[in-house]
Parts: sequence; C-alpha cells; structure tokens
Amino acid sequence: MEHLIREDRGVLVISLTGDVDLESSPRARTVLLECVGQNRTVFVDMSAIAYIDSSGVASLVEAFQSARKGGNRFALVAVSEVALRVLQLARLDRIFPIHASLNDAFADDA
Amino acid sequence: MDINDAVSEERGTRLTQGLGLLADMGRDFADTRDIEGTLTRALTRITEYLDSEGGALFLLEDEGRILRCHASVGVIRIDGLTLPFDHGVVGNVVLTSQARIVRDVTSDPNFDNTVDNRTGFSTRSILCAPMSIKDECIGAIEVINKRGRDGRFEPADLALLEILCSSAAMALLNARLTASLVEQERVRREIELAAEIQRNLLPAALASDFPLFGLNIPARSVSGDFYDYFTLADGRIAWCLGDVSGKGINAALLMAKTASLYRCLGKTETSPRHLLARINDEICETATRGMFVTLVGGIYDPVADKVCFANAGHEPPLYHARDGSFREFEAAAPPLGILAVGDDTKMFPEIELSLKGGAFYVFTDGVTEGALASGEPLGAEGVRQALRDNAKLPLNDRIATIARLLDRDDGALHDDITLLGIDAARPAGTPSDEEQADLPFLYRFAARAELLQGARNAVRDYLTKKGAAENDANDVVLAIDEACQNVIRHAYCGMEAGDIVLEMALAGSHLIVDVRDFAPEIDDITLAPRKLDETRPGGLGTHFMREIMDEVAFLRPSDGIGNLLRMMKQIPVSPVVTKL
Repeated sequence: MEHLIREDRGVLVISLTGDVDLESSPRARTVLLECVGQNRTVFVDMSAIAYIDSSGVASLVEAFQSARKGGNRFALVAVSEVALRVLQLARLDRIFPIHASLNDAFADDA
Repeated sequence: MDINDAVSEERGTRLTQGLGLLADMGRDFADTRDIEGTLTRALTRITEYLDSEGGALFLLEDEGRILRCHASVGVIRIDGLTLPFDHGVVGNVVLTSQARIVRDVTSDPNFDNTVDNRTGFSTRSILCAPMSIKDECIGAIEVINKRGRDGRFEPADLALLEILCSSAAMALLNARLTASLVEQERVRREIELAAEIQRNLLPAALASDFPLFGLNIPARSVSGDFYDYFTLADGRIAWCLGDVSGKGINAALLMAKTASLYRCLGKTETSPRHLLARINDEICETATRGMFVTLVGGIYDPVADKVCFANAGHEPPLYHARDGSFREFEAAAPPLGILAVGDDTKMFPEIELSLKGGAFYVFTDGVTEGALASGEPLGAEGVRQALRDNAKLPLNDRIATIARLLDRDDGALHDDITLLGIDAARPAGTPSDEEQADLPFLYRFAARAELLQGARNAVRDYLTKKGAAENDANDVVLAIDEACQNVIRHAYCGMEAGDIVLEMALAGSHLIVDVRDFAPEIDDITLAPRKLDETRPGGLGTHFMREIMDEVAFLRPSDGIGNLLRMMKQIPVSPVVTKL
C-alpha cells in the first residue's frame, strides 16, 4: 500500500493505493488518525484501492469515529468497486459518507 | 651326535625352512601389486634354498604358444627369453604337467643347448616343476646345477619345488584376477564418467512452457543417440536428433563429436541444409571406418509455429496435425559421414512445415524397433497409436509415457531410446484437461502478514483459471485472507509463526476450502462474528467469512494437531478455456 496526502481547498485528501491488508493497515491507521487529529476535514480517496480487508476497514472506522468525536467531517471518495463490495459486506456502505468523486464531496460540503 | 641324528636334524631344519619359505611367499604374493618383482624374490629364495647356481621362471603367453622367462636369478640371466611352448625341458614339463629331475642334461633328449650356447653357461643338471592349478598349467620354474655334494638334485628337492610351484601358481592367478578386477573397475568408472559427460551434452531442461522436449534413455551406460536444442539470438530454436551407427564407446565418441559440431556450427549457420552439409564434411574428414550418423536437424520458429528441417538418412519424423492425421517425412539424403559434399548444399534438402498447433516428433529406431512387454516391436503404427492415445498430455509426459512402454522395469531395453517433440499447444509442464479439472490447490506459507498478499494472488489465480467470475473470486479471496488473519492474530498469537496450509478444490460449482494451522487448539468463541450494529473493529473478519461462504466450520484435524477451518460455497463457473 502507498499513501499520499495533499491539501485541496482546505481539506486533507488522503489517497490510498494498492492492498490495504493486515500488513499495511497499521500504516493506514496511523496516517488516517494523524490527519483526523489535525481537526480538519479529511477525504479518503479510495479509487486506487485494489484490496481491502477487515483490518483496513477497521482503520477507516476508527478514523471516522475519531473525526466524529472531534466534530470534523470525514468522507470516503471515489471508492473502487472492490473496496465498495467490502464496505457493503460489512454493512458500512450506509454508515460512511461516500462520494462518487472529489468534486461531489466538495459540492456536498458547500 | 651320530650321523643319523645329524641327518634327521638337517631334514627337520629343511622342512621348517621350507614351510617358512612357503608362508613368506604366500604373504608376499598376497599384498603385492608388483607381480614380476614378487616372482623374482620368490625365485631367488627357491634357488638359494635348493642350493642351486641359477633359476628361471617361465610363463605361458600368447594363448599358450610361447613360454617367456619372467624372472631369472643366479648365474643365468635370461629375462624376456621366449621359447616355443613345447621346447626344452621346461616345455616338456609344461606339456606334461609333470615335474622332472634331469641329473645329466647330456643324456636328456629334451635338453636344448641353445641358451647355453648363447650365454656360455654350462648346464649340468635341471630340476623343473610345473606351475599348475587343477588342470591348468600356466608355466614352470626350473633351477639349475645343484651346488655341493655330487651336484645332483634329490627327489626331496623335486617334491619341495613342486609345492613351491603350485603355491606360486595360485598366488599368480590370484594376482592376475585382482589386477583384472581392478582394471574392470577402472574401466567401469571411466565409462561412468563418459556417460556423465554425455548426459551433460544433452540440453538442460528449460522453462516448463518451452515448446520442445527431448528424452534419451541409453540401453548401456553410454549412448550413440543424442538430441539438442538451443534458442538463437532471433528467438528461433535450433534442434536436432541423431543416431550414430553402432553402439558402445566408439559410437558415444562420434555422438559427442557430432553433437558438439551441431551446437557450435548451429549457432551461426541457421539453414538446416547448409548446416548438415558442413557437419557431414567435418565428419567425413576424420571418418572412422564405416561409422556414420543419421540425423534430423532443423529450426523451430515459435512465433510462426513452423519448422524447417533436413533429414540425413534418419527414421522419418512424424507430424501429428490438430485434426488427428499423421504425416511422415522420409529421408531424402544419405546419413552424415558417408560422402563429402563440398559446396553441393542441395544434398540435404529442407522441408518447411507449418505446425498449426499440431505436434512434431523425431525419434530413433530404438523407439520403433523397441519391444513391448508382449515381445512385439512397437512399430511405426504403435508409435502413432501411443501419440494419439496420449495427445492430451503435456509434451514431457507424452514423451515419457511412450518411453515407458519400452523402458520397463523388466530391463529388456536393447537399444537406446531417444525422442524429441515440438508442441507449442501443449508444451512440457502444462497440465492436461483432466488434471486441470481435478487439480487441487495447495499453498503453504508461514503465518506472517507480509506473506498474505502472495497467498491471495495464488488463490485468485486458481479460481480465475477454474472459471470463477471475478467478483466471486474476490469474495473468496477476502474470506480466505480473513481466515488466515485469524490464524496469525489468534492461533499463533505471541508465538513464533508456524505455517498455514491452504487447500482448495473447485469441483463443478462446489468450492471447498480448508485452512489449516499447527497452533494449539483455539476456541472458536473468540472468533464469533460481531454484531452488525456495532461499528467497532473486531470480529469483522469472521463476519466476512460467514457472509461470503455458505458454510464455515471448525473441524478437528485428523492427526489432532492444530486447527482446521473448512469453508464451502457454491459458485457458478463458466467453462474453462484451455490453451489449444
């Protein structure tokens, strides 16, 4: 798994790429929690996720809960088909705010 | 001491000395490699012991036609002297196998004075005994001119010499036997080495999907057959298969020469007719009388699936087309090594053949003439039938199957078996349709997080190959990955990671997956799925497993070690598209 953090219109956009699995999810968790900890809106670009397992989903859940606790916005953006299937299996597809694209996410914010 | 006592004491001493001499000789012979030296030492002691002026040891040679002096001591030195086998007193003794005393040579008709005349020595008396074992006489020892007293040999001397002679004969035969065993062993080792060098001349096994495969089973340790293939710079593959006339070491040496020439010249000369002409002339230049090589050599173009080859006096290659038909290619040229052709490169005409997904075989007459278990030869028709019967096997198994028809455990292989096949559609190492259908999945890896990706890839490959849809494959990959994570996190937790074994079979649309570990037994309550209304992490993996699979069950492994998780699911599969 690779990750990239950039700032776009005041929002931290984290792009996760590749396999988010038992080996890489601790890194994903650290990155997500650090961004969320900055008290800012965080979008996770999931378009390039090739695989995600329960540990990866758990990292997203933890970051989401942490953001909510701090009153910050946390959304998943452009979720790849594979990742969406896993979120559906976990019945989390209706719990996470999910947007088809980054623009949609910003539009929703406006 | 009276005279009688003195005589009997002297006899006793002589007897003891005689026995001692016998024992010493036996020991000396037993641990010597230098037979001639030992014979000379033995002769010296016998001559001294019998108080004689000289002695000589003759052995029959040249299939018993001559007697050659192998050792001589004392006043006569005639080492290397040869006599006709029936000549002189020695010849007479060898001929009759009877020991003799000649007290006065002048009165013996067998005595030959040639040696005396040549050496200037004057022989007066001779004691001679045959070296024989059972009925076989291998030579004789003679001692000459008794010293002291009246210069005459006594019957007791003769009896002693007879014993010493038979002992020397026995030792000599033993030594000869040992030497021949040592020689045999040496030759065997050298042939073994030659065979190993020969095996190394054959090409090394290449990647499993390589379109060529060859097999050589020598009837003896060395072979006159060979095959070779190697990839050229442009990606085409040069190949050949040949059979040297005759068998044994000489055939093996010519095989080595031809194979080396092919490999060396074949790298630059890629036209089969030019190449065969050059090799032919090279072999002719240093031809060994009457030996020749039949050979089919050519080029395979894997892109066009096309062969171009020339046949020099060899058994016809066989093309097995996709429609099941066969076609033979009779030799249009003589074997290599018979007639130099110089610039006449039309001598070895080329044939071009598009394989169109079919297979091409070259083999030696050891295959067509090889005997089946019934004793009947396999024959050209038998070869076709076997190729037809085994057409669905990958190339290497197909060729090995045919070889096994002939090279059975009964050891009845009389001629070398050599086969070479070209088949891009079912190259070596590809599983047959039947195997592909039944092939279970087995993947073992250490229970570590960083190895999960490899396991996932293997599982996904297997399911895709078996015709599972992408979404189903992804789901099953997730379920198996979660099961493995449970093993890593719960079963082996805090311990040095053991292995995880994944076994999987997809028969029809029924998928069974076994995830096995070797950790202490775990309680599956810890793996209970989470309640879905909770969003806290944990238990989610087990939920995935249960959600994706139709059944998830913890079983006790039959050997009682570790944990076994079995998951089952019905998944629709599309017909498997096999590579043809």
